[in-house]
Amino acid sequence: MKPREIVVMSGKGGTGKTTLASVLAWSLSGKCVLCDADVDVPDLWILLNPRVREEEDFVGGDKAELHRPPCNDCGNCVPACRFGALSVEDGKVVLDRSRCEGCGACTVVCPKGAFSLSPAVQGRIFGSETDFGPFWHARLVPGGENSGRLVQVLRERAKKTAVEQGKPWILVDGPPGIACPAISAMTGCDLALAVTEPSRSGLHDLKRLGELAKRFRVPMAVVLNRFDLSEEGAKAIREACREKGWPLLAEIPFQLEIVKDLAQARIPAVILHEAAERVLEGSEALLRVDAR
Amino acid sequence: MRSLGRKPLSIAVVSGKGGTGKTSFSASLALSRPSVVAVDADVEEPNLALLLGNPVMATMNVTIPVPAVDAEKCTRCGTCSRTCRFGAVFSFGKGAPVFNDLCHGCGACVLACPERALYEVDRPVGFVGRGVSNEIVLVEGRLLVGMPNPVPVIERTVELGLSEGRDAVIDSPPGAACPMVAAVREADAAILVTEPTPFGMADAEVAAQVLRDMGKPAALVVNRSGILETEPLFEGVLGTLPELARLAFSRSVAEGSARGIPPTELDPSWREAAKVAWQWASEVAR
Repeated sequence: MKPREIVVMSGKGGTGKTTLASVLAWSLSGKCVLCDADVDVPDLWILLNPRVREEEDFVGGDKAELHRPPCNDCGNCVPACRFGALSVEDGKVVLDRSRCEGCGACTVVCPKGAFSLSPAVQGRIFGSETDFGPFWHARLVPGGENSGRLVQVLRERAKKTAVEQGKPWILVDGPPGIACPAISAMTGCDLALAVTEPSRSGLHDLKRLGELAKRFRVPMAVVLNRFDLSEEGAKAIREACREKGWPLLAEIPFQLEIVKDLAQARIPAVILHEAAERVLEGSEALLRVDAR
Repeated sequence: MRSLGRKPLSIAVVSGKGGTGKTSFSASLALSRPSVVAVDADVEEPNLALLLGNPVMATMNVTIPVPAVDAEKCTRCGTCSRTCRFGAVFSFGKGAPVFNDLCHGCGACVLACPERALYEVDRPVGFVGRGVSNEIVLVEGRLLVGMPNPVPVIERTVELGLSEGRDAVIDSPPGAACPMVAAVREADAAILVTEPTPFGMADAEVAAQVLRDMGKPAALVVNRSGILETEPLFEGVLGTLPELARLAFSRSVAEGSARGIPPTELDPSWREAAKVAWQWASEVAR
């Protein structure tokens, strides 16, 4: 059977995305492949204690190199670079590789052929084993680029592992935000679980995430975390869910024990396993499967 | 624009991990100094206005140049699609090339076309809004939903914010990748808001490494302290940063933020922390 892929998203950071992903992993133990798509600042590994089996560099695209000679500092390249990676200082052309996007405009305009493009390592990919199932994760180099492509690679690996090992579920811990890594984590998933909180910013960011899910045709359901922090806020989230047709699968109260567990790198499974069950039952109903 | 009679000071607020209190601390900084500009550079999820209460009024589009083709000049040679490094240009058979959302707006295809058959049109990717209330100018960037690259919107937002000529607070995106770098680049100093959990610390360490590599003066504000009796020590690059404040975990601050009440109105230690942060920034920026 084709594995079902669920991505945990949030829009706003810090709403409990990784926490929910960890308790879902606990509940799906042995039946899932896990994937941390928050490659920029990955956190799921802290809760899963992965034993790394294989690792490799992630080559995330090209960067320009300037060769001197033949560069004669004519400066033709400077206006061609839209990313501010080229400038002239004291009559010399200077390349700032941290700003280079590897587009190659400089190679097109340089009359001397002084630029070349070469692949740049932008991160590292890990294939691990955990107590809950195989786990694909990565680390982007600090300040690194092309995280969308890295997320795509991780999801491909997770899918391959799930098919090979006959795991019915793939669980992806997504990145915050709505830009390239978020789009890359969400596209083609069977279901997006949006973790939100009853704040004005939570609601605002949930709505933007919902627009993104609609645009990329991914069904979305909602988990309301810390619902008791604001009655007014929780009401607004519930209303938005009704209005937009997002199933609200679970509401979780604020509990200091969860925070304490997390502070000690423990999955708050004892407190949250019932909520995780509700989320999984709701997800199965939406996907019309009984994969467990 | 008013003149400060000195060079304006700008502080970027970063966090690594999301939800550590970055926007709350940004609002606190904005509310603790007269006549600042608050720049919301978290353009994927701009939330600063929700705490400051500024109505965002005037807006302007942020666009990137994307290619278009003059089908009569195009000879279907395919140079454009071979030049594009992002898979954004397709040309096959007898059809003119087609362009997709993966375009970075680099212009390489236009430069490479031997027939000069390509030209550029502006495509909106976001907008920047501005609103004034209580002496605070808010400049807010907003990425259009579905656009993959926030960096052009962040750069334009920071540029417009700093052009106000006021002391500036830049609320940066979470993470430590290119969006965060773009938000921080023009700031005099950066404040890293984190929490004493394994997650907060792991993510803040990545952000701290980026700030060090950028040569940006940085300091720590530790939020949600006091949950564990013994708190972990900060190590690595984090351990080398000055700690400006340790803010206790407070349910009332969390409840207030949820309703759009900034923590400075609820907890004097946030006001004090913001003052200390401005003082620190003015010293390192000199």
